[in-house]
Amino acid sequence: MRPIILVFCVLALTSCAASSADSGFFGTTDPPAGQVLRYISGSEPESIDPAIPSGQPEARVIMSMFEGLTEYDPRTMGPIPAIAESWENNADFTEFTFHLRKNARFSNGDPITASDVVYSLRRGLNPETAARNAYLAYYILYAQGYNEAGVFARDTSTGEFVMDGKFRKVFSEKEARALKGKEPVPIKAEDIGVAAIDDTTVKLSLVQSAPFMVALLPHQFFRVVPRKAIEKYGNDHWTRAENIVTSGAFMVKERVPYDKLVVVRNPMYWDAANVKLDEIRFYPLEEETTMMNLYKAGAVDATYNHTVPNAWLDFMMDKKDYMGAREMVNEYYQINTLKRPMNDPRVRKAFNLAIDKESLAKYQHVKPLTAFVPQGIFPGYPAHSEDLFDVARANDLLEEAGYKDRSKFPVNEVELTYNTSERNRQIAEFVQAQWKQNLGITIPLKNMEFKTFLTTRASLDYKGFARSGWIGDFVDPVSYLNIFYTPRGDNGTGWWDSRFVAVIDEANRTLDHQARLNKLFEAEKMLLESQAVIPLIQQSTNWLKKPYVKGMYPNSGTMHAWKFVYIEHDPSKWDYGVPEM
Amino acid sequence: MLKFVIRRLLSTFPMVLLVVTLTWGLIRLAPGNFYTGERVIAPAIEKNLRAKYGFDKPWYVQYAKLMSNIVRGDFGTSLKYEGQSVNEILRRTLPVSMTIGLLAYILALSIGIAAGTLAAVRQNSRVDYASMTLAMLGISLPNFVLGPLLVLLFSLVMYWFPPARWDGFPSRSVVLPVITLSAIYTAYVARLTRSGMLEVLRADYIRTARAKGLDEKTIVRRHAMRGGLLPVISFSGPALAFLVTGTVVVERIFALPGMGNYFINANLNRDEPLIIGIVAFTSIAILLFNLLVDIAYAFVDPRIRY
Repeated sequence: MRPIILVFCVLALTSCAASSADSGFFGTTDPPAGQVLRYISGSEPESIDPAIPSGQPEARVIMSMFEGLTEYDPRTMGPIPAIAESWENNADFTEFTFHLRKNARFSNGDPITASDVVYSLRRGLNPETAARNAYLAYYILYAQGYNEAGVFARDTSTGEFVMDGKFRKVFSEKEARALKGKEPVPIKAEDIGVAAIDDTTVKLSLVQSAPFMVALLPHQFFRVVPRKAIEKYGNDHWTRAENIVTSGAFMVKERVPYDKLVVVRNPMYWDAANVKLDEIRFYPLEEETTMMNLYKAGAVDATYNHTVPNAWLDFMMDKKDYMGAREMVNEYYQINTLKRPMNDPRVRKAFNLAIDKESLAKYQHVKPLTAFVPQGIFPGYPAHSEDLFDVARANDLLEEAGYKDRSKFPVNEVELTYNTSERNRQIAEFVQAQWKQNLGITIPLKNMEFKTFLTTRASLDYKGFARSGWIGDFVDPVSYLNIFYTPRGDNGTGWWDSRFVAVIDEANRTLDHQARLNKLFEAEKMLLESQAVIPLIQQSTNWLKKPYVKGMYPNSGTMHAWKFVYIEHDPSKWDYGVPEM
Repeated sequence: MLKFVIRRLLSTFPMVLLVVTLTWGLIRLAPGNFYTGERVIAPAIEKNLRAKYGFDKPWYVQYAKLMSNIVRGDFGTSLKYEGQSVNEILRRTLPVSMTIGLLAYILALSIGIAAGTLAAVRQNSRVDYASMTLAMLGISLPNFVLGPLLVLLFSLVMYWFPPARWDGFPSRSVVLPVITLSAIYTAYVARLTRSGMLEVLRADYIRTARAKGLDEKTIVRRHAMRGGLLPVISFSGPALAFLVTGTVVVERIFALPGMGNYFINANLNRDEPLIIGIVAFTSIAILLFNLLVDIAYAFVDPRIRY
């Protein structure tokens, strides 16, 4: 038994030692020699082809290797010039013209021209690429039609196309064939609203007003890919370390899946002189405690978002290298509004009013969410403060709905479904307890394996409530409101209102920025009024970075433009806390 | 003997195909799909994805294609990890899992047999109690507890070994995973050896050996061990199969680029070719190691003949 006792003595001693000699940081703070960053990037990238993956871990890795017309600002995540050095739009935000840098080059030295931008977009939208992110580009004229293998309909006698307003109407092939006297004309890549005016000018034509288009372009889907390499090696093999050609600040040196992806400075990059890091080592890792161990021991310099285990937060939030800030992520319960008893808005409202979100947020170390759009992230966007915790009103509403006698409430018809995770369970149990205490109704909980859950939720096969959350695709409130723009897809509530859609359309046509935001806010109020969703909390970023890592900020999407990141060897210039944003 | 081996090897083939077929059916039964994601994808994109991977064909065509590929030794391309073939993934990850697994196996057998024999020979002595206490601890301490404890002590306090990640073999990064992985097997081997040896040491033929005046060392090594290790041998075959293929927990704790991560994620991702590839490989490994155990029996135990 002796060795065991010894082990526990050592453990006890070290825990004391750690707290007495506390530097305020978690673990060692010795910077590595030179300019090499070791970053835990999350799960193994599905692919490093910008068009393919839809996850954030991939997005962060891809950002180092590929560049788009615009890039994320390291602090605000708003768009900053990248391959495009400037741009302008027409009066109603339906046409954008980008002026490319003359010195933009791929890592093999080939110039990046307007035709490369056009090629990258057409390839992403090509049905054969089967890109899951293609929907992001549907604002571009005919992009959706091309991606969904749609057709135009042409009159066989006059040769004129069937129009929808000023654009050609898009049909499915079946629909077009059913039209009399019309022949289907497949939509080709060349029909998409993206054109190379000359070598350094690209024009995007949109199908609707989209003032946020430039903010959407840093997304990995829009980043520029090398046509020659793709055509030579094919979609499946061009991203191999020996074949890949990159357009961004770094290029691939070595890739061992589930172990590491090493990128080194790309000497051909247009801004190579200002790139500070020589090398980034991305470590794909999924186990949170393992990440914390590596970080503490100084084997890595920073971690990706949501890496500090929940149970450690009390301890870690006080550390100077803990990066906590408002995040562009909301968490809510969506309601199946088509099934009784939740088809009654009064019942939905009652369930919303009976949750103490302040306490829930405190319990989860985050901010409560009183509206649907995350707050404090979109400058100028009004704050919604009507969503109160009001038990008396909740009970009144239930009575109005005919459930004065609680035993009449069909508990069997309602469930709270969530995908299996410790955190989701905690929140669900909290909410369940609130409803039981404040309404006298016990809603059964049901957890499901992730993919099973997603299928159930999307097809509205759930009863009552289902857990949900949304990460904005770009820094604009409309990225959240768009979920309910169509009755299908991510909506999953059964609630859809044409007036809601009209208000959003109107907002996007509004030229004045503030007026537009106010209009969007109006749409959000309609959504909240319907109570198809119960907003719960707004996430906070939750990651670590050593004080000597500079140029990395806890921005709302945790997207780091790697060219601005560097290792600072002078302790007087380190970050002692969350860096100034 | 040779006939026996050939017969067993031949039966491996249909068994693996059966396992693969069952797996294939089970994946189909699971809800969700490899492209099911947090965001709902448009029907058109779904159609494109299905067409890209041949899921638009009737099931019997898909099944026939799968089988004909497997017979040719080609498990296809991962659905999740763009452009990586299953064979390539296995080729890359197996050496890591095997290195860790084999080292843990060797460690478990050498320490386990030594401790078990010693405990049996000196039954009810301090040595016996000490090694059996440690063995009990090894069995009851799961590796997801032992691993972090070792990391805490040897990486975060003493800085002797890296807390995680793989630096190849040989390197310091191997030490903690191997100890963590082998602990429970060492303990089992020690207990099996001890009980096997105790039984044999009381047998008539040992008494005869003693009566003939052989020294204790020879008795234990030449005569007792042959019979006493039989339980260990039957345990060690499947153990080796699991050590080499199923180091899932240890690989995650120590972030090793082995097969374990792929196995977990392949299932979560409904990555059909990858699941089938790993399942086929694992079943081949288990069948082969069991065969090896049966062969080893014949060598160790003179009573067994095939």
